[in-house]
Amino acid sequence: MTKRPSLAITRRQAIAGTATLAASPLVLPSFGFAQGAEPIRLAGLVSLTGGGSAFGPNDRMAHQAVIDEVNAAGGILGRKIEYLAEDDETNPEAGVRAARKLIDVNKVVAIMSVWASAVGTAVLPLCWENKVMMLAIAAADSIAMLPHQGYFVRTQPHTELQGREFANFAIKRGAKHFFVMMPQTPFTDSVMKGIKDQCEPKGIKVSTLVYDAKKSSLRSEVEEMMRATPDFLMIGGYQPDDIVLAKDVYRANYKGTAIGFAYGLTPQFIDGAGKEAAEGIYSIEPVPAAGSSAYARLKTMLKRDQLDTYVCQAYDHVNLAILSMAKAGQASGTAIRDTVRKITNDSGVKVDNALDGLKAIIEGKEINYRGASGPCRFDERGNIVEVEFRLNQIRDGKIVEVKS
Amino acid sequence: MAGAVLAVPAIGFTTIFAVLRFANFALAGHMAVGAFAGYLVNSWLGLPAWAAVLAAFLFAAMIGVATDHVALRPLRGYRALTIAIASIALNLMVENALRFCFGNAPRNFAIPLRRDLSFGPIHIGPQQIENAIIAGIAMMILFLFLSLTTTGKAMRAVADNPALADSKGIDPDRMARIAVAIGMGLGGIGGMLIGLDASIDPLVGFRSILSVFAAAVVGGLGNVPGAVVGGLVIGLAEELSLLALPSTYKAAVGFLAILITLSFRPRGLLGPRGV
Repeated sequence: MTKRPSLAITRRQAIAGTATLAASPLVLPSFGFAQGAEPIRLAGLVSLTGGGSAFGPNDRMAHQAVIDEVNAAGGILGRKIEYLAEDDETNPEAGVRAARKLIDVNKVVAIMSVWASAVGTAVLPLCWENKVMMLAIAAADSIAMLPHQGYFVRTQPHTELQGREFANFAIKRGAKHFFVMMPQTPFTDSVMKGIKDQCEPKGIKVSTLVYDAKKSSLRSEVEEMMRATPDFLMIGGYQPDDIVLAKDVYRANYKGTAIGFAYGLTPQFIDGAGKEAAEGIYSIEPVPAAGSSAYARLKTMLKRDQLDTYVCQAYDHVNLAILSMAKAGQASGTAIRDTVRKITNDSGVKVDNALDGLKAIIEGKEINYRGASGPCRFDERGNIVEVEFRLNQIRDGKIVEVKS
Repeated sequence: MAGAVLAVPAIGFTTIFAVLRFANFALAGHMAVGAFAGYLVNSWLGLPAWAAVLAAFLFAAMIGVATDHVALRPLRGYRALTIAIASIALNLMVENALRFCFGNAPRNFAIPLRRDLSFGPIHIGPQQIENAIIAGIAMMILFLFLSLTTTGKAMRAVADNPALADSKGIDPDRMARIAVAIGMGLGGIGGMLIGLDASIDPLVGFRSILSVFAAAVVGGLGNVPGAVVGGLVIGLAEELSLLALPSTYKAAVGFLAILITLSFRPRGLLGPRGV
């Protein structure tokens, strides 16, 4: 008599079958998951607190506004975009913790609008190691010199360039002794070098002093400056230490010309230092493309009459990331790296926003993205190649543009 | 001027050491507590500087007694080093509690900005003069308390000879609480005076604690007049160092003072022999 095969499942078979079922997602191709289900993740690592907090919230708003617009039109590559924002506290340790979370946990493909150079310096290695693109504001020359393998571009002019602008200001105004006071940052050396290289050949004496930005009083440092009797002074810190320095400079009866970075000499600086201490201080900042359609569009999106350069750059970062991925047909940091310079093609269709750019890309056209901060063209190190500067002065508690 | 302001928290530090025989580094956090209490009274309630100084003393004293009761009093029987380390941990908790409540951003008192008075190459701020006067008044009140009141004399007895004081019926716990209250209260005044001339944030005490500790060591740990002398010496040394060195090295003066004192005269300028 032939024995029928048993249909009963043995314990061994049950264990083997369960193990196979549990392991299958790891070995089967992922086409089992719908392509539209997994969103593309873009991150803003912005300064919501600390020295950059005057700008971080606006940058986050610009990112979110563009992404909402693109998602409302269906997203890109058949997928929605998910936006995550983390606060770097304008502090490299906090920035690295936040970046680790964005990269390791949230699996973002790009980190946008890092503002402080110390944060950019600390976070960029995490980006290139994980093939995540960084589109930054952070301006220290040293950042672009890191071996970032192309995973870095920035829309803010690098700091040696900015140092030369300060030098040109001093030269035009007939300075005799330019005293540069800055906190210790990744760009301190390059700014001081830029000033010395321009001023000293013109016979202007340049003295420098690096101070501890965490001190609540800079009286000793200001005394050292006053003993040097300069006629030009650079107040070269971030907003919190600029407030401390400006007050101590006022108390010390400094009578010469003072100038600083516009990002430190904000309306909040005027509130903190007081009108008397802030009166007459000049500031230099890169100029956004105020006459451009992108700038006008962003003003409408954010319902503002005027925009600072950083929110314009943030707008451009998110547009560049989205358009690069769409052009490459792939959502990854590598795709953004390889394509970000191909979407500013002179012969392409001029676009100033992601929606128009996506439409042109779908139609198979080349595009020429012209941003709110400027043309957004980068050299091989990631530095912006075209930039203009503006000179401001604080008069009666207000920041006004003046001729240089 | 800087020495007079430094002397106030230095007296607080040395008072606690005199009675409790350990270095209480939580003074730094309580300097910040006093500074914020003075700030709230001045900027939010609009009260004048004298009210803010009183508030700084009272709040720092109360918080100091409470934190000591919770964190350090249970460790009284342990070695001085153990309690000193615990005080550092307590300090971190106090500073972070302030950071949680007020954030990191510096805050300024609602006082007008005034230019320095110049006497040739010497520049003195009007606020520095006022701070020195406030510091002087605080120290005078303390000296009168210690010299003329029964409680003050009992504290000095405990500082001189705890066993003998105990045998005479002086309650060591009560003296410890009073010493902590006075010490932290003076620290609070010190924090506020620093903030009046500059600004305050949760780390206002932390940035000064090295100079405060150096002043107490130079004067002689446990010796109250010594803390005044130490404060003046350290303050003067820090300012004079600017004539020879860049301002970046000013913070090293405190380290150097501690090193020199402990190497050549460990009891300090006015401290008792055998310390």
